[in-house]
Amino acid sequence: MRIRNNTAVVVKVSLLVALLLVGLTVLGCYGTKTSPEGGSGGVVADGTLFLAPPIKQAGGFGCTAPSVDGKLVALSAADGTRFWEVPLEGSVSGGGFGCSQTSSPAAIYGSPAVAGELVYVGGYNGKIYAINASSGALRWVYPREGNLEPIIGGVIVALDRVYFGDANGMVYALDAATGDEQWKVILGGKIWATPAISGEMLYIGCFDKKLYAFNAVNGTKQWEYLAEGAIVSTPLVYNDTVYIGSFDRNFYALDAASGHLKWQFPAEKWFWTKAVAYNGTIYAGCFDGKVYALGAENGQELAALDLGSAIYSWPVLVDGRVIVSTEKGEIYAIDTASNQETLLTDIGEAVYAPLSAEGGVIYIYSQEQNLYALNADSGANLWNLTIK
Amino acid sequence: MGIGDIWNLIAMQPMINILIVLTSYLFNNFGVAIIVLTLVVNGMIFPLTIKQVRASKAMQDLQPKIAELQKKYGKDKEKIAREQMKLFKESGVSPAGCLLPMLVQMPIWIALFQSIMRVLAVIPENLVGLSGFLYSWPMVYTTLPLENHFLWLNLATGDIFLALLVGGTMWVQQKMVMSPTADPKQQSQSSVMLWMMPIMFAWLTMTFPSGLAIFWVTSNIFRIGLQYFVGGWGGLFKSESKKPVGRDKKYKERIAQVEELPSGGADIVVPSSTQEEGSSDEESGDKRPDSGGGYTKSLRATKRQPRKGRGHRRKRG
Repeated sequence: MRIRNNTAVVVKVSLLVALLLVGLTVLGCYGTKTSPEGGSGGVVADGTLFLAPPIKQAGGFGCTAPSVDGKLVALSAADGTRFWEVPLEGSVSGGGFGCSQTSSPAAIYGSPAVAGELVYVGGYNGKIYAINASSGALRWVYPREGNLEPIIGGVIVALDRVYFGDANGMVYALDAATGDEQWKVILGGKIWATPAISGEMLYIGCFDKKLYAFNAVNGTKQWEYLAEGAIVSTPLVYNDTVYIGSFDRNFYALDAASGHLKWQFPAEKWFWTKAVAYNGTIYAGCFDGKVYALGAENGQELAALDLGSAIYSWPVLVDGRVIVSTEKGEIYAIDTASNQETLLTDIGEAVYAPLSAEGGVIYIYSQEQNLYALNADSGANLWNLTIK
Repeated sequence: MGIGDIWNLIAMQPMINILIVLTSYLFNNFGVAIIVLTLVVNGMIFPLTIKQVRASKAMQDLQPKIAELQKKYGKDKEKIAREQMKLFKESGVSPAGCLLPMLVQMPIWIALFQSIMRVLAVIPENLVGLSGFLYSWPMVYTTLPLENHFLWLNLATGDIFLALLVGGTMWVQQKMVMSPTADPKQQSQSSVMLWMMPIMFAWLTMTFPSGLAIFWVTSNIFRIGLQYFVGGWGGLFKSESKKPVGRDKKYKERIAQVEELPSGGADIVVPSSTQEEGSSDEESGDKRPDSGGGYTKSLRATKRQPRKGRGHRRKRG
């Protein structure tokens, strides 16, 4: 091979390699974006379905400004007719390829909560919004100025208060009518979990591997339980027992009053979704693709139903059946009498958002931004819409 | 199984799980884990890296001779090319020696880079995605999600100080291996390389998570140390070259052997190994553009010596 000028060739090839390296570096970002998209599950109240679509980021390498504004949408639960939508503003604090968190999009992960005439929702942009459920008019926003750390878990409303946690590890209680702060408590790690409430006890999991119980009225800590892994799932309170799964791959049953361990059940992967309980049995979905049916009293494994792919979204109970969606979009109904699963339908799209149900209809919102209304008995598709 | 699956299986999964285990052992400090893993990976590919650095250094050492060839044959590019090839062959330097190890290392860097990005997992989508890469080691499951603060840094966001550090260390590294050349065209190409890469990476650092910048800075510092070990400060400071040792000495000797060829040697000026190690530039009467060896006489002017030992094409070992 004749090389006319070796040094020049080396320099040129080095230049090419350097450019290739930069290109691959940029491509290395592919699939690892840290820009949140969100996408909440739907919540049905008085015939209206409330949900927040995910924010789909603009493509390319930062040539276009990434989307940061989210929205809350109200639809007819009967046929999907859109009643209103409210824009939720995010903010941008820099450019770039979107691999770095340079913006605070108003991505909504937690499902909205409805109480009285208001619907509440918390965003990744660190804001809590209270919106009139009928008109979509904004009633209040917290904080009024500035932002909290990202809010990834959902909000719950009880005792005339709104409860939630943020990624700074702070648990907040706000006046549900005005948005005024009632109390706040700092925990030892980030909070991604939606809290749960029973009576005057508030339960919330944390990245610091602890499940906390607080007095929901004044924020006094009642007890804490240290697991071996982070807790991002929402506790289930059933028959004076708190049931919670952890990243340590264990599912725990704790005394609701004292936090003492009653039993624990080991699985193969993370627990992320909330469990449901029916007739003395706990149904807990796991990232190992199984739904474990466990005796509520002793944790005995009654069944391990392998559904094939990770279970991330919250299941719902409909007429004595547990409706579960896998990450791949296969919708199963588990008969609680026999603990046998039946495939209702396969929507073929990733499902992360919690399921919701009312009047024998299941509502499933996929990551492809499609909302499906399915007959809970047959799995028949009643209608579907793209909600962007 | 697609290419992506194979890549994940053989590169991403091991790297991700090792990174998580390291974090667990290093007091759950992800920043320290990135530094340690970067050093470990650098150690593992050390033979390739040192090969590349030595080849670059040898190429650097040949530059004055190449310049002299260019000066001697002017616009006769055919002749220059022929003589250069001869020179490379006789001195045991392969231009590909600089590039092949770099190309081999690239997949490893990409895997490490992608692993850091994935393990950071600062939003639910990332964490869900990460779960598919995990081995069933208990430690892996209990360590996640990782704390993304290190020193003053949020490892998930860009940082201007780290951007300057990445750019600065990259510039130093480039400058150390930069070959001096009399050719203005090559000079301008070298200059582009010297400034373009540091500026580009500094800008990238601003827009990428700083966990990645820690990886770049650690790698750069490692390479700077390695290059200093092999060839001193090179083009960074105009000072005496570091005395070559081990294999570098063999390179030097091989280059010096060209001088001793009876007839088949290149029609060029060659370094004197004795001057290289013993005498100063002033003594040789030649102004050297860098810290490499002294180049004083043309081959024709050199007293030819009979070939010694195994000859000039002995295997490198």
